[in-house]
Amino acid sequence: MNWLARAILRLYPAAWRERYGHEVGDLVSRRRLRALDLVDLLGGAFDARLHPQMVPSLQLAVGAPAPTALTPMRPARPAYGAIATMNPGVLSRRSFMRRMLGAGIGLLSIEFLGGTLAFLWPPPAEGIGVEHRVGTIREILAASPDWARGTPYEFRPANAFLINVPAAKAMALGDAFEVADPGAGEILALWRKCPHLGCMIPTACETRSRFQCYCHQSTYNIVGEKLELGPAPRGMDRFPVRIGVDGAVFVDTREVISGPPKGVQTFVDPHPPGEGCA
Amino acid sequence: MSGDLGDLGRFAEPSLLILVSLSGEPKHGYAIMADVEELSGAPLGPGTLYAALARLEARGVIEALPAEDRRRPYRITGLGERTLRAQLEGLDAFVRTGLMRLGHPS
Repeated sequence: MNWLARAILRLYPAAWRERYGHEVGDLVSRRRLRALDLVDLLGGAFDARLHPQMVPSLQLAVGAPAPTALTPMRPARPAYGAIATMNPGVLSRRSFMRRMLGAGIGLLSIEFLGGTLAFLWPPPAEGIGVEHRVGTIREILAASPDWARGTPYEFRPANAFLINVPAAKAMALGDAFEVADPGAGEILALWRKCPHLGCMIPTACETRSRFQCYCHQSTYNIVGEKLELGPAPRGMDRFPVRIGVDGAVFVDTREVISGPPKGVQTFVDPHPPGEGCA
Repeated sequence: MSGDLGDLGRFAEPSLLILVSLSGEPKHGYAIMADVEELSGAPLGPGTLYAALARLEARGVIEALPAEDRRRPYRITGLGERTLRAQLEGLDAFVRTGLMRLGHPS
């Protein structure tokens, strides 16, 4: 609790800390703090920030107390509020409101603290930002036998299409051509995030071996190069692919390779370049 | 002339308790907290205590004494004594009126 109190003390303005920091630091180190004390301390920080002129400069009293003279000219207003405090056990409207305010501030600070901790948490061990092991070619073919004949393999953990490039090109040209074991240089991992506005690119068209974004019809050929249709500025972005020592395919989503610029095409399929899926 | 604690808003009540606590002898923060808790039965948080102390000091009803080993005692001033007395007399009149209207049981 004590470190938390010291952390809350840092929220006070510098002038306030200069004047009262030592005293309050001493006080909280002597007292067994309750959660409500911390909320109260936090409330004091808000108060001190709201009323920066409140902190009096230190003028130490010297010598005797100021002379007492003169009786009050008019009776001061009694502080009726004190009566409520003298009656422990009765929850007044004021203390109810104060407790609710305290609870609200407490809840808010817990949320704030939680958000901060969540932000500081290390990145997740899945999704984008880690290297994924897709599996060996044999495992990929077991899951999707058509991959050898060019059908893109949808690898969800990395949100990517794994393309068997020679087989996929042959499929797009209408040839039946099976490549059962492409090398690392012949596998592309196309990120399914459209380089236009980031929509998720759906699986390849049913009738043509092309990709088309649902959002604005940006169209790509089977190796992710941008065709004429749609506003995307370049081809689909990729992730580096490597083959591990055990023959497994790895997709590294810590690095993104920008897609080829618009107009660059290493491969032309037989469909009209200005058309999308159908 | 005496000060008025009415404009202290939500700090009026803790301020009154603090002044009562200080009227016996000068005290530092920790002692005030313990004393006020004993006086009123309700705990006084450190944030409220120092917000009230700063306001009371700014109004000149209390004053700071030289610190002893990080702990700084506070003392009620003459103005503070008069203010407190006026407040308590006001309360006293209020209490007596209330009791009179209820009728004394005797």
